[in-house]
Amino acid sequence: MEAEFSAQVSARLGDRVAGIESFPGTLGRVRFRADAALDVFRSMRDDLAFDHLSMVGGIDWVDHREAFYVLWSDARRAYVILSADLPAQNPHIESATSIWPSANWHERETWELVDIHFDHHPDLRHLLMPDGYAFHPLLRSFKLHEPEELEVKTRNV
Amino acid sequence: MSASAESRAAGKPVGAPLPVVTQAAVPFIEIETLRAKEFVPAAKEALSAMIAERGRGELTQPVFNWAGRNSLFPLHWGLACCAIEFAAAFGARWDAERFGVVPRSSPRQCDLMIVNGTVTWKVAHKLITLYEQMPEPKWVIAMGNCATGGGPFRTAYSVVPGVDKLVPVDLYIAGCPPRPEAMLDGILKLEELIRERKE
Repeated sequence: MEAEFSAQVSARLGDRVAGIESFPGTLGRVRFRADAALDVFRSMRDDLAFDHLSMVGGIDWVDHREAFYVLWSDARRAYVILSADLPAQNPHIESATSIWPSANWHERETWELVDIHFDHHPDLRHLLMPDGYAFHPLLRSFKLHEPEELEVKTRNV
Repeated sequence: MSASAESRAAGKPVGAPLPVVTQAAVPFIEIETLRAKEFVPAAKEALSAMIAERGRGELTQPVFNWAGRNSLFPLHWGLACCAIEFAAAFGARWDAERFGVVPRSSPRQCDLMIVNGTVTWKVAHKLITLYEQMPEPKWVIAMGNCATGGGPFRTAYSVVPGVDKLVPVDLYIAGCPPRPEAMLDGILKLEELIRERKE
């Protein structure tokens, strides 16, 4: 089944996919090129029947960042993971909200915690932090502040 | 010998008209007016002397303090698990209402804010707004370790390290979470504070 899925992805997406790895509990982890994000999303939904976006997240690997998407297909009854490597400087990727509306809040959260910018997002505001919060706290470069320092910085923004 | 006894002794029939009392009756209201004419100026004078000597606040403040401490109205809002203990304190088993403590849902009807839970920066300005909507005089109790100093989340990126960074706190209740008995004890301690309040 995983081999079959892998062949389907390669046939549909070609060089927009950098590789498919096996990942426990899913059909695999599809690494795609960030500049082809919208094509990949649309193809996954329309051609490969992944009709539900379960979550969006981000990882800070210090030298680069990774955005990942967990998809579910009712027809296949299986998960798949999409992931894209982004540069550490100015990481940005196309928003998935036009394909799966459920991406909206997940992308807001990913943006505020690991500072990945989602282009053409309808409403990229803070979700868990107050407006004007000065930090992206799940970045590795974020230090655990002394409470007083955090207070001053948060109040002054 | 009175007139009626005379008539009885003389064999006259009982029921003859009684003699008229000639002394003029003073109406009751007139007596009160006479007393008031003497009393009110004297009382005014005495009161003015007391106010001049001790200040108006010292005479009236105990009355306000007595009324205030026996009907504390806490704001009915919950932030975290301390709110469960807060709710339990108003249930049948602990029944905080026997101390005159009644939670109200509008900050404009409250004089006590019990901050029961972790205060995040996201909710901080809402907390300040609620505090500012409460009429004076007002008190704040920080209930539990989170409200007191951030608790286990003190260094977290999203948590206010103690609600005293935002509003003035009168009393801290330790515990994680404090039991309802501790909350009631805190309220009784606050009543003692209000008893000593000067203005």
